[in-house]
Amino acid sequence: MGIDFSKISLSDNTRANEILEVILSFARQDFDKKVEIIGDDHLLDGIGSGVNMLGEELQHSTISLKEKEQLLKEIHHRVKNNMQIISSLLSLQSDSVEDEKVLSVLRESRNRINSMALVHEMLYKSKDLSQIALREYIESLSISIRRSYALPDSVIEFCYDIPDDIYFNIDRMIPIGLILNESISNSLKYAFPEKRGFINISLKNREKEYVLVIGDNGIGLKEDFNVERDSHLGIQLIHMLTEQLDGSLELKNKMGVTYSVNF
Amino acid sequence: MQIPKTAIELRGYFTWMGDDGICRTCVKPNTDISIEDAVSNTLAVTSLFVDRKFPLLIDSTAVKSMSYEARTHFSVRNRETKTCAFGIIIRSSVSRVLGNFYLGISKPSVPTKLFDNETDAIQWLTQFVNISGGN
Repeated sequence: MGIDFSKISLSDNTRANEILEVILSFARQDFDKKVEIIGDDHLLDGIGSGVNMLGEELQHSTISLKEKEQLLKEIHHRVKNNMQIISSLLSLQSDSVEDEKVLSVLRESRNRINSMALVHEMLYKSKDLSQIALREYIESLSISIRRSYALPDSVIEFCYDIPDDIYFNIDRMIPIGLILNESISNSLKYAFPEKRGFINISLKNREKEYVLVIGDNGIGLKEDFNVERDSHLGIQLIHMLTEQLDGSLELKNKMGVTYSVNF
Repeated sequence: MQIPKTAIELRGYFTWMGDDGICRTCVKPNTDISIEDAVSNTLAVTSLFVDRKFPLLIDSTAVKSMSYEARTHFSVRNRETKTCAFGIIIRSSVSRVLGNFYLGISKPSVPTKLFDNETDAIQWLTQFVNISGGN
């Protein structure tokens, strides 16, 4: 059924304009307006009735989507809070421990939990609840890790080379966060006996893959370091997390330690 | 559609069981169907169930509008426990839109077809008479 525009009368024109006005309000997410249905079995009645129904469907889909977003936000918030509680419990337990090794294990666990909690925190604060700005995340995370080590009189600086427009979802962000946590922690613990140095973090987007590089200008690993034999949990975790990203890891031991993760 | 004297009369509908085993429900002229109308129509249709599911002929030609809540009610399998097929007559522009919305968005779980005349609708619905039991 088509419209013969040559036969449109003045009143039809007015009705068509009214329908257009209603469509424009729907486009502005204003669903109060409705097309008036006269009941004269005119084609414009059918069009108006379809517009009204599509508006109602759109309104309910919008409401349902907003409710789901609110729920998702709430979930991320709760996950983050629960992780912070676990982290605080570990911190409280640290107060009653004197053994340096145990303290170190507790601190490392806390940092791992915090790196994941930060992902959830940034997700519920993000606009679309699904993507996190990588640069912002890395800056917050690295500063938080350095603070946790609270090295007195140390001057360890971070240098970032990360584009502002790179966003990742939670599936990528959690392993990236943990890789950063392990590599930065290793640098802070072992690389700078003089308590001075730089940690460089960069991310490059090369055609179909990303290259995340975390390197320090510290003393490096011992000369006979063997990945298979000498790797501690931190490096093993970096390997595992790289696999989780379907990536590959390169460890360089020249003028400091550099981890390159291609994914 | 000829309305018999025995038809159940509601604010927005007439509903009755035909001698051919096909149930009919016909919207009254220029009716704005509300959720109350929809629920009472469902009750009227299901009250005609005896021991077998039956096909339902819906004449919605004279409908003026149907609220979102009423459409939702019809979409959530309220009548399909007692009915086995829907034939919907859509002779007006509003009923054409409504019928297509019902097929596209509500997606009834029983065979459903839109018609522009009663004869074709009855001919199609006849195949569903006396073919299934109730539940």
